[in-house]
Amino acid sequence: MSKETVTRINSNYQQYRVSDGAAEPWPENATLYQQLKGEQILLSDNAASLAVQAFLQMCNLPIKVVCRANAEYMSPSGKVPFIHVGNQVVSELGPIVQFVKAKGHSLSDGLDEVQKAEMKAYMELVNNMLLTAELYLQWCDEATVGEITHARYGSPYPWPLNHILAYQKQWEVKRKMKAIGWGNKTLDQVLEDVDQCCQALSQRLGTQPYFFNKQPTELDALVFGHLYTILTTQLTNDELSEKVKNYSNLLAFCRRIEQHYFEDRGKGSSSIRSS
Amino acid sequence: MAAPLELSCWGGGWGLPSVHSESLVVMAYAKFSGAPLKVNVIDNTWRGSRGDVPILTTEDNIVSQPAKILNFLRKQKYNADYELSAKQGADTLAYIALIEEKLLPAVLHTFWVESDNYFTVTKPWFASRIPFPLSLILPGRMSKGALNRILLTRGEPPLYHLREVEAQIYRDAKECLNLLSNRLGTSQFFFGDTPSTLDAYVFGFLAPLYKVRFPKVQLQEHLKQLSNLCRFCDDILNSYFRLSLGDG
Repeated sequence: MSKETVTRINSNYQQYRVSDGAAEPWPENATLYQQLKGEQILLSDNAASLAVQAFLQMCNLPIKVVCRANAEYMSPSGKVPFIHVGNQVVSELGPIVQFVKAKGHSLSDGLDEVQKAEMKAYMELVNNMLLTAELYLQWCDEATVGEITHARYGSPYPWPLNHILAYQKQWEVKRKMKAIGWGNKTLDQVLEDVDQCCQALSQRLGTQPYFFNKQPTELDALVFGHLYTILTTQLTNDELSEKVKNYSNLLAFCRRIEQHYFEDRGKGSSSIRSS
Repeated sequence: MAAPLELSCWGGGWGLPSVHSESLVVMAYAKFSGAPLKVNVIDNTWRGSRGDVPILTTEDNIVSQPAKILNFLRKQKYNADYELSAKQGADTLAYIALIEEKLLPAVLHTFWVESDNYFTVTKPWFASRIPFPLSLILPGRMSKGALNRILLTRGEPPLYHLREVEAQIYRDAKECLNLLSNRLGTSQFFFGDTPSTLDAYVFGFLAPLYKVRFPKVQLQEHLKQLSNLCRFCDDILNSYFRLSLGDG
């Protein structure tokens, strides 16, 4: 009795949340906005953007990537990337997955309840550990902040705005780190957490092509986005990417998705082309 | 292993050995792994620190934070995850992340931010266990810390106001409870017949929510509908904590 009540309550919530935009099909001119690829975008934002692009490719939905310096401010939630579809603007992977599902495309419909719970749990693991570690490295590690982050974040703006915005963002991120208990962590501890997370992902993936065997899901998109970005971004040292390289099945996983969903679609050898 | 392991933590009530989630996680893990812990409940004398509770003290080590304490216990050969496969170990990490991201904000809100609950239940309970004049300051500080954590991790624009964040965090918490219930199914514990780290974490976060009597109870009501999770908490309380119920 109670389980049916719970299911009914759940479906009511879902109907309430995705009521509009459900009827129209996916248009040809859907666009994804992110920061400038060459000079501005940071590791964590690049990972998020790549995850969304991978997800949409897996759903076979066309998307054009547009780079704008003020993408962060254009976004309804302040986070990148966001997509502009018809007259709807949706940001972040979670809401985008819901939005796409309302239009009738889903990668996780074939999973049973237990698998869906596992998928959500692993997505939280990636957000909890990998994303937080990326933010820590970018904004709380003095070497990286000085050499890379500060300059990149403020690059589209004139002096003194570039410094002010960068400091403000750094303060915000440090405050958040402190609130979740990462304020006192050293870089070594953070790298160890990354290693633990990669080990868990590697063990879960095992020898399968994707996390839920034959078909990719949003979890595969999210993991690909983060791992690929970590592997291909030049930081002050290679410690972060070395942690990922320790796990050969994760490397094979990234290569497989890159080949299958990015290179094969004629997007060029350096995987993502943007305008 | 000969050195005594002492745990400082918040005490119990409403049938629980502790009403503080993190303390409860450590206590449950110690019971599951057979670690001999001497529990020092914080009372309103000036003895002991109240800062980063729970804290584990041995002869030459002081360890705080549940994750680090559990790691320490494992290194001392008190390992409740001995029989888990590699995949199950990975699942443990993932589900703990799920609980921390989706359930914890709502639990913090129920205990520390919701004003009816905070002023009638939480604050008096904690204040009675803290010596004056700290009892005037510390609960308020813990409440602000909880609110801060919720707003900083969830309250990004456009959800500036606490009201809107509230709706979202309770929705997420209910979904998380449903997911945990689906995963547990009809099993005794999450991985077979013996309890492990994940069981300790789920118990630690769910039991206070289940047992403490609050005026505003929407999350508690939802939890009570998931009978397998309630049965899970009751089973652990009866099997592992029966002796300490007498002085709860």
